[in-house]
Amino acid sequence: MKFSDETLLAYLEGNLDEAEASAIENAIETDPELEQRLMALDPFAPVVQSVFERVPTETPVVELPEPLTAEPVQPMGGGLRLLAVAASVGVIAVSATFWATRTQPMGWAEQAAIYQSLYVPDTIASLDSSPQALEAQFALAEEQLGRSLNRAELEALPGMELKRAQVLSFKGKPLVQVVFADEQGQPFAFCVIRQGEGAPSKDVKQAVLSGLATATWAQDGYGYMLIGNSDKTDLSGQLDFLTTSFAG
Amino acid sequence: MSNLSPRARSVNGKHTQVAIYSMHGEISSEQAVLGAIQTHSKRVWRFGLALSGASDVADDLLQSTCLRALERHHQVTSHERLDSWLMTICRSIWLNEVRSRSVRKAQALSVTPEAELVATGPDTETNIFAAEVFTQVMQLPEAQRETVMLVFVEGYSYREAAALLEVPIGTIMSRLSNARQKLKTVMQHEAADAVRRSGK
Repeated sequence: MKFSDETLLAYLEGNLDEAEASAIENAIETDPELEQRLMALDPFAPVVQSVFERVPTETPVVELPEPLTAEPVQPMGGGLRLLAVAASVGVIAVSATFWATRTQPMGWAEQAAIYQSLYVPDTIASLDSSPQALEAQFALAEEQLGRSLNRAELEALPGMELKRAQVLSFKGKPLVQVVFADEQGQPFAFCVIRQGEGAPSKDVKQAVLSGLATATWAQDGYGYMLIGNSDKTDLSGQLDFLTTSFAG
Repeated sequence: MSNLSPRARSVNGKHTQVAIYSMHGEISSEQAVLGAIQTHSKRVWRFGLALSGASDVADDLLQSTCLRALERHHQVTSHERLDSWLMTICRSIWLNEVRSRSVRKAQALSVTPEAELVATGPDTETNIFAAEVFTQVMQLPEAQRETVMLVFVEGYSYREAAALLEVPIGTIMSRLSNARQKLKTVMQHEAADAVRRSGK
C-alpha cells in the first residue's frame, strides 16, 4: 500500500483514525523504506533533538582504569605526560566525583605500546613491503605528519627490515607507526606523532611499557618513540641512529 | 582478533585505503571500546538522563556503563554499532542496579530542568521554549521518554530502538504517538509565539 506524505504527516500529527494509523504501523513493520520516510517527515524529532543535542553542554567526564594489558607504567617525563594530557581535548577528562583515586589518563606512548604489544612475527610476515606499497604508505604518512620520514635512512636502519608505514591517530593527532622486522623476524616499531608547534622538546627517556622496551623523545613539535619486542630489547643502536636522523 | 572488522577509511581520497587507528584485524576490542566511549559519552549520558531524570544519576550511569563495557570488551565481535551496545549496557545497569534505589527520587522527578542544561542560546524566548520542550519530554512516562530519546534525539530507527529496548516495533510507534500527543501542546504554543514574534 502506498501512503502519501500528507497521510504520513497526518499520522504523525495524530490526525488519522485508528484504522488508518494501524495500516501505516503494520506496513512499517515490514517496510524499512516507509519507516525512513515517516521518520524524515516527523516534525517533532528535529525540535526535540535541537533541545537535547546541547545537553550536556560539556563532554561528560569518565574515569577509566588503567588498561589491564599494561604492565606497571614506569614514570614518563613529566613534560611529556602533561603534553599528552593537554592533547586530550574533549576526550576523556578526569573527575573525582565518583572515584576518590585518580588514575593518569593514558598518553600516546602508552597507547602505542599497548597496540605494539599485540604484534607477533606473523603480523608483519604477511605485510606487503613492495617498493610501490612503501612508496604510497610513506607519501600518505608524510602528508599527514607534514614532515619527511627520511625513508632512505629508515631503510638503512642497522639490523632492521622496513615492513610498513601506517597512519594512526591519537586524540586527533596524526601518529605514524613504521614497523620493521629484526633479524629474527620480530616486530620493532618507530612511531612519530605530530604534537604541534610549541610542544616542549624532551630528552630521550627509556621505559618498559606494556612489557616492551621503549624510548621516547620530543623535538620541534614532534614526538618520537622506539618500541622493541620485549622488555629486554636493546634499543641503543637504533636510538643513536634515529636521534641523529630525526634531530629536527 | 581476526574476527574483528576493520574500520578503514580513505584519507583525502588519495593513494590507498589507510586504516585510521589500525589495519585490518589488528585493532583490539579494548581499543574499540575505548574509542566508542570517547565518541559516544554524550549520548550515553543523555540516555542516562532520560532514564533517570537526574543528572547526577546520569553521571553515575555513564561511569558504570564505561567500566562495564571495558570489562566486557572481549564480548565485542563487531566494531559496528558499539553505540547501541553501550546504550544497552547503560539501560541494563539502570534497570537492574540503579532504578530501585532511584525510584523514590524519580517519582518526585525533578521536572524543572536544571537551567544550565538547556539555557544555552542568546535568545530568551528560545530558551524558554527549549526549557518547555525539555520539561515535557522529561515528564513523559519512562517508556516513552527512553523511546523519544533514542529515536528523536539519537536518530535510531524504529526497528533499531525496538531491538535495543527489546520490544516490538509496534510498541515503539505507539509510544512515539503518545509522546507526540503530549508534545503537541507545547509545540503549538511555540508555533503561535513564532507567528506573533514575526509580526504576521
